[in-house]
Amino acid sequence: MSNISDDSKKNPIDFRQDRRAWLKTSATAIGASFLTLPAATIAGAQDAAAPAAKEEKPAAAKSTGRFFTPAQHKLVDELTETIIPKDSHSGGAKDAKVADFIDQHVGESGDNDDKELWREGLRLIDSMSQHYTGKTFLDGSPEDRVAVLTVLSDNEQMTDVLEVRFYKELKHLTVLGYYTSSVGIHDELEYKGNRYLQEFVGCDDPTPK
Amino acid sequence: MSDSVVDLTKTYDAVVIGSGAAGGMACHVLTSHGAKVLLLEAGKKLPIEKELRSMEWPYDNKYRGFLPPDYHSLDYNEYTIRRPPYGPGFEHDKHLKSYIGSTDYTKNICVDERDNPYTGTNYAWVRARCLGGKTNIWGRLSLRLSDYDFKAHDRDGFGENWPISYSDLSPYYDKVDLYLGVTGVKEGLEWLPDSIFQRPTKLNCAEVTLKEALKSKLGRTLTQYRAGVTTDGLKHNKYRSRCFGRGACERKGGCDIHAAFDSPTGLIYPAADTGNLSIRTNAVVREITTDPNTGKATGAHFVDNETMKDYYVKAKVVVVAASTLESARLLLLSKSKQHPNGLANSSGHVGHNFCEHVMGGGVSCRVKNLVGKAPTLDDGRPGGFYIPRFRNLKEKNPNFIRGYGFEGGGGSTMFPSGTQINGFGASYKEEVRKNQGAYIGLGGFGEVLARYENYVDLDPVVKDKWGIPALRFHYKFGENEHAMIKDMTETAQEMAEAAGFEILHVSKRTLTEGWSIHELGTARMGDDPKKSVLNQFEQSHDVKNLFVVDGSAFVNASCQNPTWSIMALCWRSMDYCAEEMKKGNI
Repeated sequence: MSNISDDSKKNPIDFRQDRRAWLKTSATAIGASFLTLPAATIAGAQDAAAPAAKEEKPAAAKSTGRFFTPAQHKLVDELTETIIPKDSHSGGAKDAKVADFIDQHVGESGDNDDKELWREGLRLIDSMSQHYTGKTFLDGSPEDRVAVLTVLSDNEQMTDVLEVRFYKELKHLTVLGYYTSSVGIHDELEYKGNRYLQEFVGCDDPTPK
Repeated sequence: MSDSVVDLTKTYDAVVIGSGAAGGMACHVLTSHGAKVLLLEAGKKLPIEKELRSMEWPYDNKYRGFLPPDYHSLDYNEYTIRRPPYGPGFEHDKHLKSYIGSTDYTKNICVDERDNPYTGTNYAWVRARCLGGKTNIWGRLSLRLSDYDFKAHDRDGFGENWPISYSDLSPYYDKVDLYLGVTGVKEGLEWLPDSIFQRPTKLNCAEVTLKEALKSKLGRTLTQYRAGVTTDGLKHNKYRSRCFGRGACERKGGCDIHAAFDSPTGLIYPAADTGNLSIRTNAVVREITTDPNTGKATGAHFVDNETMKDYYVKAKVVVVAASTLESARLLLLSKSKQHPNGLANSSGHVGHNFCEHVMGGGVSCRVKNLVGKAPTLDDGRPGGFYIPRFRNLKEKNPNFIRGYGFEGGGGSTMFPSGTQINGFGASYKEEVRKNQGAYIGLGGFGEVLARYENYVDLDPVVKDKWGIPALRFHYKFGENEHAMIKDMTETAQEMAEAAGFEILHVSKRTLTEGWSIHELGTARMGDDPKKSVLNQFEQSHDVKNLFVVDGSAFVNASCQNPTWSIMALCWRSMDYCAEEMKKGNI
């Protein structure tokens, strides 16, 4: 929580300025520069630089549709839970196994850009987390995690930035996965439909108190 | 109902091309008169209940009801930015579907775009090649036209009058209502005549609030969605159940208990039970043949969808019901010495006067007094509401002619409406929960003027999978449509404000041509053979034993959804056809 605090609204962070810093760290780690933004460039560089990333994939990736390594899966679990957390009303994304839904979705996608977005996004989320909190995303507290995703949520319009695109896709798939799950439909929203009715109830009182 | 082998050696009384609302109705009426009919359908007979799975929970579906990953369905931006044919550029998707083919329940009903290319101007052309066609997935809104539509030329001077009046068609609307079932509430409006309704659905609380505000503050009517759904059941039809309010109508896909009308269970299977109907699926018709001496229709050539083998069938009468654009295509394909511009086309109007409904203007809103209330069951019915046309009835709008109506709905749905709000986390989750029952939205459907310069013809180069020349579009919305969308946007806001709703989003963009899936007019009726293709009985002026009974016969689009009118017109025309056959006139 070093670089963002409650007064961040008074002194909004310079997203692009900060980004240079965390890209530098992550570039050092992998031995290449990612200052250029288009996904294709990053994807291309990643292909050249990342035999390690490929080795990470479990052997049965193709047949099961599983895409994430166990470590990535754990990270996705916590990212989705940060998007839709458990509360006193109902379970969150972890209870709804949203990470499994995303894993299948990304794993079975025929579009390599999708896969690259997740591979890169997960890596850069940790760089961002290191930059702002000094910890990986998983090591951070719930507040730390919210702070990191808030940076992306607040800059949602900057869709030229991969991390922003990753956040938007993360939220999109978390929302889809959660509200189509049993937890989301029955526990959270207490949906009453999709059953045989003798008579539709309609409206008794259009202005309930 | 074995359909793979039919007798192609005999001459049928009639061959019907297409098995949707029009083709199904033609089969019903002709077989009830004792005619021996062969129905040709380009697609296969799907195990439709297994496709639709109307009550499947999303979490019991591997892809939560969405498309499997090797499928892609075209979206608004792709239809708008790219140009047809839409196949190129999607090579990494094994299957490419129209925007309606975007769910696991509709993916096999919609055609593959790559097998069925078209060219020219942008158009979101939704096609369903399978027994029943688009009636398997239609929106069910079942409205009558009135003399405000049939005699629209008399009111504003544009276009042509229909060769019929409401009084000609009214008895046939009654027949359709009674045979197929329609739910609704009588409103007594001259411009939206009432049907013979079965038990009505009910409005939910958000909708009641809007209805009352429209009535008291703007003098406009909001009525229950008039759905082509049987709510009381149909004693004469063993294939269809009554509606049990399961609410599956909300999602793209049809009704697996067939409470909602579809052509196979509503029309084709009962017709087959008469013993007078043979069905040949996988029959892609490529040409209607004519006698070189008399010029009369003699039969049809078709290619088997799967084996690619060519077949021919002879018939005394040919009934074209392949859908507005496919019917025009087939007439244009059927050139001969007597019919050098295509069959039934001495007027040059086949493919022209192409019209439909323009969409895009609307609002989505929040009903403040419903926020945070206990969850309610709001979607257990075949539709929400309809706001009938209110423009250009008694007074003249200065900016456009004709009118538009609104479809809409409110209340909670299985997938909540408010997920597009910004942010994430505990507050996001709570916002979605608190607001889930408080949403209401409405969107307009406006009449696109039937103009000669909007047309389709055959592409000189591009062919479909079966080697048949593709259709080429020359079709654009005009000034009247754009003025209408603008007005739609304003009146939608005006109505939301009258009801005290908080407006969350105003939709102003005109949806891509074709979006309404209400294409009409490409072989219009009329009394003058120089300006029309068909007479008032949808019979070709040029070829007396040729009928075109789908939406192509429409003279204008009106703003009402066309399916019920297509069927009423078809019933009237096929009654006439049967009488003429008995008299020996055709």
